Amino acid sequence: MRFWRNLSLSLRVPLLVVVLMVSVGIIASQLVLSQLERFQVTRIRELARLHVEALSVALGPHVLRNDIWEVYDTLQRAAGASENRRTVFSVVADETGSVLAATDPRRAPVDSAIAVLSAGAQLPDALSIRSTDPRVRLLAPLVYQGRTVGQILTELDISDLLAERDATRRLLLLGNALATGILALLGYLATRRMLLPITRLVSWMRDTEGAPQPIPDEQTPAGDSETAQLVRTYNDMVCAIEAKAEAERRLAERERFVSLGRLSSSLAHEINNPLGGLLNAADTLQRYADRPEVVRQSSELITRGLKHLRDVAKATLDQNRLDWAGAPLSADDFDDLRLLIRPETTRRGQSLDWKVNAGAETLAAFVSAPVRQIMLNLLLNASEAAGQDGRIGVSVEEGDGFLHLRISDTGPGLSESACHRLLGIGHSTPGGGVGLQLVHDLVSQLKGHIRLDRAEGQTVIEVDLPVPGQREAAQC
Amino acid sequence: MEITRRDFLGAAALAVTSGVLPARAARPFRLGLTPVFLDNDAAVIERLQVALTGALGIPVQMEQRRTYKEVTEMLLEGALDAAWLCGFPYLQNRDALSLVAVPVWNGAPLYQSYLIVGAGDDAASLDDLEGDVHAFSDPDSNSGFLVTVSDLAMKGLRAEEFFGRTIFTYGHRNVARAVSSGLVRSGSIDGYVWEVLAKMEPAITENTRVIARSEWLGFPPVCARRDRMRDGDIIGFQDVVLNFGNTAEGRAALDLLQLDGMARATPELFDGIARRMQILNNLR
Repeated sequence: MRFWRNLSLSLRVPLLVVVLMVSVGIIASQLVLSQLERFQVTRIRELARLHVEALSVALGPHVLRNDIWEVYDTLQRAAGASENRRTVFSVVADETGSVLAATDPRRAPVDSAIAVLSAGAQLPDALSIRSTDPRVRLLAPLVYQGRTVGQILTELDISDLLAERDATRRLLLLGNALATGILALLGYLATRRMLLPITRLVSWMRDTEGAPQPIPDEQTPAGDSETAQLVRTYNDMVCAIEAKAEAERRLAERERFVSLGRLSSSLAHEINNPLGGLLNAADTLQRYADRPEVVRQSSELITRGLKHLRDVAKATLDQNRLDWAGAPLSADDFDDLRLLIRPETTRRGQSLDWKVNAGAETLAAFVSAPVRQIMLNLLLNASEAAGQDGRIGVSVEEGDGFLHLRISDTGPGLSESACHRLLGIGHSTPGGGVGLQLVHDLVSQLKGHIRLDRAEGQTVIEVDLPVPGQREAAQC
Repeated sequence: MEITRRDFLGAAALAVTSGVLPARAARPFRLGLTPVFLDNDAAVIERLQVALTGALGIPVQMEQRRTYKEVTEMLLEGALDAAWLCGFPYLQNRDALSLVAVPVWNGAPLYQSYLIVGAGDDAASLDDLEGDVHAFSDPDSNSGFLVTVSDLAMKGLRAEEFFGRTIFTYGHRNVARAVSSGLVRSGSIDGYVWEVLAKMEPAITENTRVIARSEWLGFPPVCARRDRMRDGDIIGFQDVVLNFGNTAEGRAALDLLQLDGMARATPELFDGIARRMQILNNLR
């Protein structure tokens, strides 16, 4: 049974057709054989009846006169003339059951009792035949001129009929087996052919696992059959999946700008604030150009302000120019992130607890772009969640072959839909929170996993990324 | 006027008896045959008929009947011109019948009656057959009935009491068949027939054994009505029969019957049979 369940559909259905065909063949053969049996029994009964009737007509007057010689002579002639020596043995008795004559007088002597021989004999009209016995024994009253004048016991050789039946049976079984075999084979081939598109679809799906490809037109069954519809539907689904993946790619791309966009006002402040100081310093330079102490102090102030501006511009440009297959991660990337998020936290009066304790070697095993993107999105999200005067904690550590990123905030916690987007549960609802969805996808790509926890009024998001080349990480 | 079948037959009979129709010249010679052994042998009868027709110059019609009695009565009433009878019916009707010729077998017009049993039967004589089934040929046959019955009569016994059952087969060949097949235990048969069968159809006789032979008795003769012995056709027939062995066809027919020829006979040839008839009559 297990074997049957393990068989593929493309084998099971044709085999089922074969089994059905064979069953029909067997039932049909059985019906024909039983009909043949009935026909033969009827034929033998008719033969027996005619035999007895003919003997009755020929023997009647002799039996009536007890003419032993004539009875014997008639039996001999009847046996001699009998078709194919059908009659093997015949005995005639008078009405008291005393034998008058037999074709073999030594077996049935004159004046012996016919009852000795008639045990097990059948009446012609109720004759039955057994395939093992080539002779049937009949006992019939000998009726002459409407009166029973004696009895006839006769043995008929039906071996030819049995042989004929056996030959017919063999021929029939052979023919049926042949016909059933051919039909079963045709049925098997036809159903296999009908199921071929399904088999092809299954193998196509197996071969293209992970990257579904549409089935080419030349392999799509023609017409509007269910299988053709199935293949078309499959192709539509593959196209839809491709379109979705493409859309997600575009979305992720956009998200990089979105996160920068979200930073832009803070960055504007960050640039604007030193600009006032720089303009004042420039004004002081023009006004007190003759005072070297003032010029030196102002130029230092201008240099510091311009360096700060250069750093902000560089961090922004770096974030915008992220090369996804490029530079390795380093501690500078975390400094950049801190620089980028600081205007946000400063604007909201938030405190930022920043700890990065990971070796350069471990960090260099990662490409910087995705890790920066993950961190930036989580930081933006934490800053927004923590609100005015909130606290944000950042911790980067290594251990057990993983890089552990931990971002906490004192915000009210993630909404249910945000949780789903972050942890990749269920379907993403359209709308905001694209950043969290992007975090989930990036972590998945890096074969890491995300844990979400809420304790002591803090929301903690932990991201564990397996260090490439150190160990195989569990799936997210 | 409507002529009924009866009117027609009546008129025809009248025409024949008054000699109106010139039928005499075309009428065949009618020869009766008792069922000796040749009742089954169409070839022998045909050969005999052809030979006789050739020799006699007129068609010869062979008439066969089941019993001796029928043939004898046909001869007596004139339905036959001559008949091959047996010594017993000849003697029974010796006042009305005359001898035309008698076959010669093994050099003499004599034959024997055999008492036969199955080949495996251990009976040694008639006495051993008491209480069993016995086959006679014909109640008017000498060898197939009279000899055995008169043998029993000599012992003061009647056949129907001595044997458990007796049957008539109406043919010597049938007696041999009945004994051979086991239908009966014993049978009375013409010795000439048994010997000829032993050569021609040994399958029948090889299952039988002769346990007693009678004395030599007169061979079954060819007879005609005594009052017709001077008729031209009977004289001509007698002449043909007595010279049968001199023609090629006649010789061939006689060879088939394994006979030497035909001879004139006197009634004294049948004295042995007459004696047995007397014994039987005495018992009755």
